[in-house]
Amino acid sequence: MRPAASILLLTTLTGFAYGLLAWLGLDVAVGGAGAARSLILIGVAVALVLASAGLAASALHLGRRERAWRAFSQWRSSWLSREGVAAVLTYPVTLAFAAAVYRSPDAPLTRFLGAAAALAGLATVYCTAMIYGSLKPIRQWHNPHTAPDYLIFALFSGGTLFVLLHTLTVGAGALPAVFAALAAAAALLAKIAYWRYIDHQPPLATLASAIGLAHGTEVKPLDAPHFTENFVLREMGYQIARRHGEKLRRIALGLGFLLPLLLSLLAAAGRVPLASSVLAVACAALGLLTERWLFFAQATHVSALYYGRSI
Amino acid sequence: MTMLPERAPGARKMGLVIDLDTCVGCHACAVNCKEWNTGGEAGILPDYDKYGANPDGVWFNRIHSYEAESPERSRTVNFPRSCLHCENPQCVTVCPTGASFKRAEDGIVLINTDICIGCKLCSWACPYGAREFDEDAGVMRKCTLCIDRIYDQALPEAEREPACVATCPAKARHFGDLADPDSAVSKLVEARGGVDLLEELGYRPTNKYLPPRQAQIPTAPQEAPARPAQGVGAALLRLLDKALSR
Repeated sequence: MRPAASILLLTTLTGFAYGLLAWLGLDVAVGGAGAARSLILIGVAVALVLASAGLAASALHLGRRERAWRAFSQWRSSWLSREGVAAVLTYPVTLAFAAAVYRSPDAPLTRFLGAAAALAGLATVYCTAMIYGSLKPIRQWHNPHTAPDYLIFALFSGGTLFVLLHTLTVGAGALPAVFAALAAAAALLAKIAYWRYIDHQPPLATLASAIGLAHGTEVKPLDAPHFTENFVLREMGYQIARRHGEKLRRIALGLGFLLPLLLSLLAAAGRVPLASSVLAVACAALGLLTERWLFFAQATHVSALYYGRSI
Repeated sequence: MTMLPERAPGARKMGLVIDLDTCVGCHACAVNCKEWNTGGEAGILPDYDKYGANPDGVWFNRIHSYEAESPERSRTVNFPRSCLHCENPQCVTVCPTGASFKRAEDGIVLINTDICIGCKLCSWACPYGAREFDEDAGVMRKCTLCIDRIYDQALPEAEREPACVATCPAKARHFGDLADPDSAVSKLVEARGGVDLLEELGYRPTNKYLPPRQAQIPTAPQEAPARPAQGVGAALLRLLDKALSR
């Protein structure tokens, strides 16, 4: 599948944003905003800016941007529509949460709104993941890994951002860094498990069944319908740089997950907390963009079978 | 509305039956499809870089040719590929706007290009690669089963069939109601063992494909005819042969 820059930005930025929102909301739900009011308010502002940037990037993917509002109508069947609805609903919940933190940081209502904002953000991430997870012709997406992975990556990336903001506002704290390290470890393991899974998955179909011939018939393409690439090949038969897959996987693992894990442990130990948390965010961003690129570039679509591609 | 419609009892299921035994791979159906749909109700079907090095464009119908080898025999199979108007079309349910829809009365899957936002998700949801993006209009396009021909009362009744069916010189394409067990297309599917493409994915296509038949008349393998020898000596021998044969 073609990795469109707009979608890579959308999923990565909203992952950071809603992951951060989840940590902020949970933090308040568990312990109240108390002394960390500035952390929560700045954090909410950062989350909303990142989420809005991601959603704006996704609009660049549309052929008819001026009609984007129509995408909120089919939430009964479409995960893309649900993502839009959830993203929009997250705004008022988050703003109410921020207002409550500002007025009465430790009130029960504030804690409730914290939990609600965390849930709304994670629900949006889940909808995003299910856009991919629900697509039957793509085996690398339509599997039980996709939705949990997106949630784990959101909590991981948002966690690194939470540690950075915590260090900047409240000061270095061991507990947030420990949580970020745990999330990084979970993300690392989830990604390895996902790659093992898709590398051992059998193809969804054969060319024989795609053209209605008996099982076991060996079919080879003779003449293609057209000599140049068409939309189907560009969009669904993406092959560019696939041969760099292994190298890019190592980069994504090292840069995106392992380095942030080590940096978070460093921050947890109280060593150069600011520098390590800044670096952890930067590494997570670059690593996750690489990971997201691979999520698309290494996904194969059944329709490519018709052109003799292996899926 | 992108929820799939309840199929009313007795509703028709209009679709195509494509005979892979007789298809000669001439691309006439694809060309006539392009011709009709670039000028008909569906408006322009765009072409890009028409006279350049990489011509490209939107086609609703693409013709592949394959070599199929089984233990019994090998053969060329020509394979036209277009929308199958599935009964369980995920391209419809993933649409966030309601632009992609399936008609309750005849099962035809269509795109309302007036409200399509061009998110391309429907093309990802189709395992048959039947949807193509119109870069000029910023919307998705697909086969309409020539909805502007098959119901056009101004056309003579014999012409109320999709352009691809009307033009096929090998009569390899058939159009009709696949919900009616007594229709010509249903009988053809029954008689010839028509199949669903990619049955394992569960889209339940309406269009059926008739697999290539086994040869009915056994034919002995033929030896290549001997080439007549060249040269003056050979010509003399042929002359002698002719004379003696009198």
